[in-house]
Amino acid sequence: MTCEELMAVLADYVGGELVVEHHATVKIHIDGCAKCGSYVATYTHTIRISRALPKCGQLSAAFEAKLRAALAEHLGEATS
Amino acid sequence: MVAPLPETLTPELVFHEYAPRIYNIARRMLGNDTDAEDVTQDVLLQVVRRLDTFRGDSQIATWLHRVTVNAALAHREKRANRQKHETGDVDDVLETAAPESEVKRWNVSPDEPVLAAEQHAIIEKAIKELPEPFRDVYLLADVEGLPNADIGNMLGLSVAAVKSRLHRARMRMRDLLAPHFEERDAS
Ligand SMILES: [Zn+2]
Repeated sequence: MTCEELMAVLADYVGGELVVEHHATVKIHIDGCAKCGSYVATYTHTIRISRALPKCGQLSAAFEAKLRAALAEHLGEATS
Repeated sequence: MVAPLPETLTPELVFHEYAPRIYNIARRMLGNDTDAEDVTQDVLLQVVRRLDTFRGDSQIATWLHRVTVNAALAHREKRANRQKHETGDVDDVLETAAPESEVKRWNVSPDEPVLAAEQHAIIEKAIKELPEPFRDVYLLADVEGLPNADIGNMLGLSVAAVKSRLHRARMRMRDLLAPHFEERDAS
C-alpha cells in the first residue's frame, strides 16, 4: 500500500468501514510509515476533539428575553 | 435532550432543552449571532406548534436537527441573494495538505473529555473557516455525531458525497488545528 492509497481509504478506515484484511493492510502501512502514522494520529484526534465541543450555546440575555416574549405571545395565541 | 417528553410545554422547558442546542447548530452553520438568533426563534416556534405530534424525545431530536438545518440553509440562501455572492464548484475549492508535509505527533490525552477554553476557541474558529458545504457536513458528522445517511437526507447529498466532503473537511480541519497543538505541546 502506498501513502496515496492510504489517504484514499482513510475515512473508511477511521469509520471502521473496511473489511478486516484491508484494515490490517492499512494498519501495517501506518506502523511502518512515520508520515502516515503522524497524519492518521492527528486526523483522528481532530475528530475526537470536535466531538468534545459543547452542544449547547449560551444565549445572550437580550436574545433570551426576546425569545421568551415571542414564545409567550405564541403560547398565548394558541391557548386563547 | 435526554429528558423525558414533557407533558406541558413551558417557555422554561423550551429554553433549557432546545434553545441552546438549536442556537449552537445555527451559529456554527451561519457564522454569526444575529442570523443564529433569527433561526433559533423560527425553529423554536415550530417546535411549539408541533409538540403534540411527537412520540418521544429521540424523535424530537432527529426532527430538530432537520428543521434547524433547513432553516439555516434557507437563511443562508436569503443572505446570499441579498449579497449576490459568486459560487464556484464546491468540490474543487478545498485545498488540503498532503501527508508529505511536516506533521508532528500531537500529545494530548485521547480521553480528555473537556476542552480548555483556548482549545475550544481555536476549534470554533477553524470550523468557521471551512467553506460552507464542507462546514455543514463536518458540523453534522463530527460535532453533532449524526450518521452519514441522515446528513445526506438533510443536505440533499448521496452518502458517497457526504463521505467525500467529510474527508476533505477533516483534512482541512487537521491542517488548521495541528499547528496549535504542537505549540501547546511545546509550552
Ligand atoms: Zn505512508
